[in-house]
Amino acid sequence: MKDKLTTLEKALAPVISGSSLMLGGSLLRRPPNAAVRHLIRSGVRDLTVMSWAGTTAVDLLAAADAIRRWEGIYVGMFNYGLAPNFRRGVENGRIEVRDFSETAMVARLRAAAQGLPFLPIRTLFGSDIARVNPEQIRSFSCPFTGETLQAIAAAETDFTLIHGYAGDKYGNVQWPVVRDTDDMDQPMAAAAKRLIVTVEKIIPHEEVRKQPSLTYIPGNWVEAIVEVPFGAHPAACDTLYDEDDRQMSDYVARSRTVEGAESYLAEFVHGVPDHTTYLEKVGGAAALATLDVRMGD
Amino acid sequence: MTSFSTNELIAAYLSRQIRDDDLCFVGVGTNGRAFTLAVGIPLAAVRLAQMRHAPGAAVYWGNLLEPDLSVIPESFTQDAFTRWEAAACPPDTGTKCDMLARRRFDVSFNSAAQLDRFGNMNITAIGDYRAPKVRLVGSLAQPEHFAFVRRPILLMDLDKRSFVERVDFITSAGHLSGGDSRRQAGLGEGGPHLVVTDKAVFDFAEDTRAMRLRSLHPGVTRDEVLSSMGFEPVIPDTIPETTAPNAEELTTIRKTIDPNRILLKV
Repeated sequence: MKDKLTTLEKALAPVISGSSLMLGGSLLRRPPNAAVRHLIRSGVRDLTVMSWAGTTAVDLLAAADAIRRWEGIYVGMFNYGLAPNFRRGVENGRIEVRDFSETAMVARLRAAAQGLPFLPIRTLFGSDIARVNPEQIRSFSCPFTGETLQAIAAAETDFTLIHGYAGDKYGNVQWPVVRDTDDMDQPMAAAAKRLIVTVEKIIPHEEVRKQPSLTYIPGNWVEAIVEVPFGAHPAACDTLYDEDDRQMSDYVARSRTVEGAESYLAEFVHGVPDHTTYLEKVGGAAALATLDVRMGD
Repeated sequence: MTSFSTNELIAAYLSRQIRDDDLCFVGVGTNGRAFTLAVGIPLAAVRLAQMRHAPGAAVYWGNLLEPDLSVIPESFTQDAFTRWEAAACPPDTGTKCDMLARRRFDVSFNSAAQLDRFGNMNITAIGDYRAPKVRLVGSLAQPEHFAFVRRPILLMDLDKRSFVERVDFITSAGHLSGGDSRRQAGLGEGGPHLVVTDKAVFDFAEDTRAMRLRSLHPGVTRDEVLSSMGFEPVIPDTIPETTAPNAEELTTIRKTIDPNRILLKV
């Protein structure tokens, strides 16, 4: 097995301006925020970003004006309202959007995972989601029944970025037995071309081997793995830490204006050289301990 | 007569729409009034139905199938979701999508930024899609709900900005342009079934599929309803009053289901 353990800098170096990028996580669970802050610092722009229920990671990239196009099921801030920077980017025409409903996005991921150009659904008849996107949603006649179905183009991206719970240096990432499963990280990993994962903790391979059924991202699929504790902050990593209400509220409040969003980026992204300094900046160990939700496990 | 809040009226009314063994989709999101409409009232309604006439009714919430509604979380941070006990928690959201597409859901609870005469709804964009006045959240599984669920129920406050002649963007196809246009477009049975608001309940006329006033909440007038809408619904000759909750339903809601006023708060 190949040692794939590396740094954010090395893992993300291949992601250049103009790349397409699938971002893992859903709502406030495990968006790859540390990796996204690194990408913003590195200055990449013109990204095509895909997500399931995108929140902080998509909105941070929008704040940095790094998104040319977004495709997915949702971008918002969950119980913190609409995504302020993403919303502004779409409203002023800087971000092109292509909406997909959930079965459509599932079809796209499964098609990519199977190496197929599309998979069919029958969800979007009569919906403007199909009307405005003839490039990726097309009706065709079922060769068996003659029924009209909708072909949904595969979700092919250059890179896929997922934040996970724990993994070994070979890139095997494991989930805990009890977790919040409302996400599409595993199908995204299966659909990936170049898969970069960050994890809360690197654990010994010997531990992974004892419970291989918990490995939802096999190292075999992974290009690089990076240990990034609190890598989803200010969002949550279910079973480990909750969302940081103070930081989330500050981000949303400042993002009401372009200047406010820029001041946030200047302070928490460009103003810190790396993730370790970021964690100090948001309050360090004492503040982060208040988010801890582990129950003696 | 016992006094009751509008939220209690709606929760009790909805509980009577739930049949035994119904599988009901409830959303997870937002806060404030939107939370009460999308999450709080639906959870209270299904629980009340379970306790009274529909013990087999179940909820799919987040990615939890049959979460324990006898212990509904009282704080809605991530860890409360993670620890909520349930019968099943499939490995990813794709499972729920498959269940939707195979028409396993009987009821869904939905809200929208805009809803029109024929029950088409919009949660994607206000104004022009490509240069919107307000970009909203996208679509989630709302198109699936209207495409595949047997009896989608909309839960919204009555408001001219939300109840519009024509939605700016059809996120979810309801009854499209009425009549059999939904079937013509390739959609099966389903589409919006009821619209329950803070002032009245609506359904959709069998022939035209246009929104129709079904009942007025106690104390609400017809004119009050019409002045809160951007179009005129079908008005029947006699308009019944929305059935009020009885004392037993109110006691169950207040003492057992929502003792700390979390679900029906605002």
